[in-house]
Amino acid sequence: MSVHEPVNILMVDDQPGKLLSYEAILSPLGETLLKASSGREALDHLLKKDIAVVLMDVSMPDIDGFQLADMIREHPRFEQTAIIFISAVHLTDVDRMKGYQRGAVDYISVPVIPELLRAKVNVFAELYRKTRQLERLNRELEQRVAERTEELRESESQFRSLANSIPQLAWMADPDGHVFWFNQRWYDYTGTLFDEIKGKASASLVHPDHAEDVLRKYERSIITGEPWEDTFPLRDKEGNYRWFLSRALPIRDTSGSIVRWFGTNTDITERKQAEEAVVKSEKLAAMGRLAGIIAHEINNPLEAISNAFYLLRDHPSLDREALYYCKLADEELRRVAHITKQALSFYRESQQLVPVALQEVLESVIELQSRRLQLNRVALEKKVETRGMVQGFPVELKQVFLNLIGNAVQAMPEGGVLRVRLISSRDRVNGRHGVRVSVIDTGVGIRPEHAKRIFEPFFSTKEAKGTGLGLWISKAIIQKYEGTICFRSMRLKDRNATCFSVFIPGAGAESKLGKGTTAILVA
Amino acid sequence: MDKHRHVILCVDDEENPLVLRKLVLQKAGYEVITANSAETALQIAASHSIDLVLSDHLMPGTTGAQLARQLKTHNPKLPVVLLSGMNEIPPDAGSADLFLSKVEGPDHMCAEITSVLSSVAAQRSRQ
Repeated sequence: MSVHEPVNILMVDDQPGKLLSYEAILSPLGETLLKASSGREALDHLLKKDIAVVLMDVSMPDIDGFQLADMIREHPRFEQTAIIFISAVHLTDVDRMKGYQRGAVDYISVPVIPELLRAKVNVFAELYRKTRQLERLNRELEQRVAERTEELRESESQFRSLANSIPQLAWMADPDGHVFWFNQRWYDYTGTLFDEIKGKASASLVHPDHAEDVLRKYERSIITGEPWEDTFPLRDKEGNYRWFLSRALPIRDTSGSIVRWFGTNTDITERKQAEEAVVKSEKLAAMGRLAGIIAHEINNPLEAISNAFYLLRDHPSLDREALYYCKLADEELRRVAHITKQALSFYRESQQLVPVALQEVLESVIELQSRRLQLNRVALEKKVETRGMVQGFPVELKQVFLNLIGNAVQAMPEGGVLRVRLISSRDRVNGRHGVRVSVIDTGVGIRPEHAKRIFEPFFSTKEAKGTGLGLWISKAIIQKYEGTICFRSMRLKDRNATCFSVFIPGAGAESKLGKGTTAILVA
Repeated sequence: MDKHRHVILCVDDEENPLVLRKLVLQKAGYEVITANSAETALQIAASHSIDLVLSDHLMPGTTGAQLARQLKTHNPKLPVVLLSGMNEIPPDAGSADLFLSKVEGPDHMCAEITSVLSSVAAQRSRQ
């Protein structure tokens, strides 16, 4: 900008000699000098070029100086143009006033003092140049502002479309932590409107058990400027809660002060559920181990007591009443033995898996139940399509099916049909190959209010007869095999149908046959 | 009658269970010698005529399964029955003839012992 850009100076006089003398006076300024010998000629120049200073004679034929000044002033383009009148004739104050009224900046009388004229013209030429430069600068600035604004608008819209495309809920808050924007996913998930949740009102969507804690930690981050992170359930539009991992980061300007907070909420419900399932199965395993250890510790004195009652059972010194007490005690002792037996098979020392044919397991279980089947007049229908080879522990697999088939038989005190099916199958969830055993009875059925609890420990519908451990242990065993156990109880027109279905993954188990250890039968 | 009475060596580190088991076996018609450790049992087995050894499996020091193996090295035909509070067979139980769970009770135990002894007798009579 410091470069000297010549500006146009228009000199108007009907006397060529004067024009020449002005030219001589002004040429040292280094500006572009334009000459006009009449008002019309001057107008020609004015229409074609931007003029910084007009130096003109007042008295000219045709159009005089005042008229020309009026014309110039009418045109907005010449607002910045400085008009200097030179006159030898009109020198009254009225004339001067007339000149100033027409927007003249100066009124010079003849004879002209060259230095004075040059200095005056120079001042206005410089002023014009500076004004022009300033205008240009202004325009450039405006242009840049417009460009930046457009860029910002674009980046804002890019940001918003990005924020709407991410799987998370996202939001922005001002430095005080008041939320002023949520992405579309937030609205889709929560089913709320902006006015309901702006500021800090979205805290109302946090589960009540967590709300106070969440807000406290959030406020602390807002004050300290530390990134915020928390895990809590958020309510969806149906009123259900899902777990979210929530984070907010402060966005700072170049001076380091926070201009806004950008936050996200990531749905971690499934991860949370998986974690809980692991914890639950670990708890179950620990409980199983504990149950096993306790059962084992009980078994030693239990044997001694059983032996003592065995000796008392027909002791000659006891009368009938004492013998009756002994019998009752012995019967109750059998129940204790039954409980520890159930719990103990669940617990096992680590041992090598062996190939087990579920067909053989089922046969032996059915054999054990054959008397009960006859007594209850239960008809048996077997459908065996495979040997059902799996890698496992025969004792505990036998226990599972003894529980299921035993329950089925007990559910049919008035007779019925027991269907046992063994087929090759696939996991309904992940498609893994394996074996499925179904045990179906036409007995009393499972009441809906019991359905949720039947796999819980110590839950029994058999009153005094059951330990409440059978299905709980069966489920734990099947889960150890990464299998599944489920049931369905249906009320049909004239009877019930209850089906327990066990799936055990075990593709290719056949090929591993023969690798097992030899084991002696356990009673 | 004494001629046919089988002699059972009963082994357990715990006093009460050992005494009661002995009484049950005596009531079932057996002659019973007791030992409160595997070491004592080995000494008795070396100096007495024993028809069957019934031992607890989990004992401090030498376990029932280890005792069974040592007894078999001296007398392979001596039947050894192990009793345990666990109803899983320990990996080294192969040296015993039978592994019994304590949970099953005295009737079951006596029945199993009878069947082991009769199968031994059957083998002898074949030879």
